Amino acid sequence: MRIKKKSRVDTTIQGSSMSDVAFLLLIFFLVTTIFNMEKGLSLVLPNSESAPKPIAKENILEIKIDAAGIVTLDGEQVAIPSIRDRVTKRILENDKTICVIETSPRSYYKYMVDVLDEIKLADARKITLRTGKR
Amino acid sequence: MSARFERNQRAGADVPTSSMADIAFLLLIFFMVTTIFKLEDGLPVTLPKAAAAEQIAREKVAYIWVDRAGRLSINDNIVELKTVGGIMLGKLGANPALIVAFKADQQASYERMADIMEELKKVNATKVSFSADFEPRP
Repeated sequence: MRIKKKSRVDTTIQGSSMSDVAFLLLIFFLVTTIFNMEKGLSLVLPNSESAPKPIAKENILEIKIDAAGIVTLDGEQVAIPSIRDRVTKRILENDKTICVIETSPRSYYKYMVDVLDEIKLADARKITLRTGKR
Repeated sequence: MSARFERNQRAGADVPTSSMADIAFLLLIFFMVTTIFKLEDGLPVTLPKAAAAEQIAREKVAYIWVDRAGRLSINDNIVELKTVGGIMLGKLGANPALIVAFKADQQASYERMADIMEELKKVNATKVSFSADFEPRP
């Protein structure tokens, strides 16, 4: 009886599809990476040293937010989404308009951000924050 | 002189693909290594939503977390209101273009926010940003 020597199987790894696999992984990671960019409403606070400048009354657009989140614009109650148009109109009439947001300390921070957002959408440049009476 | 034009021999159009896998894995590993995972967690907050939110360079930002109950957190430490000014003064010295970003819960009280802003004004950290989730509006 003759035992046949086992013939060695050719041991090469198929390398041609390796790059496909690698690129697939690469693209998968590229797509799933979420860049958490920092987003926010920027504002420059007044400096503590600079004395408050007197502002002509006709240049002030006063927006008040009360404790319940009700917004009044120059004494008139308005809905938050309509602030943008009102502010745009005022800036067209008078480009020196300064928007003053007076928020009640008992109010939520959210309301101030909502109003600030509307004013920013209206492209107002001069914005001041003020805290209402405690 | 008899010029004999030889027929252009077609070169075999083989792209060597054996090193392609190396390149791809190299890129893969590069991106894996350079990806920075967010380490700071701050406080659990629900940010307000805004449509006018603009992007800020991250390297300029110092965060102040304010949760619904009014607790403050800077650099993953719960801090008192009185110490905010000192901490920010230190950060401002290291980076004069510092922007203080409020990661505040939408239901935080405005009083708390006003108090923090007063502290910031005292140390001239006047550039602030109210972090918000971007939500487009019609």
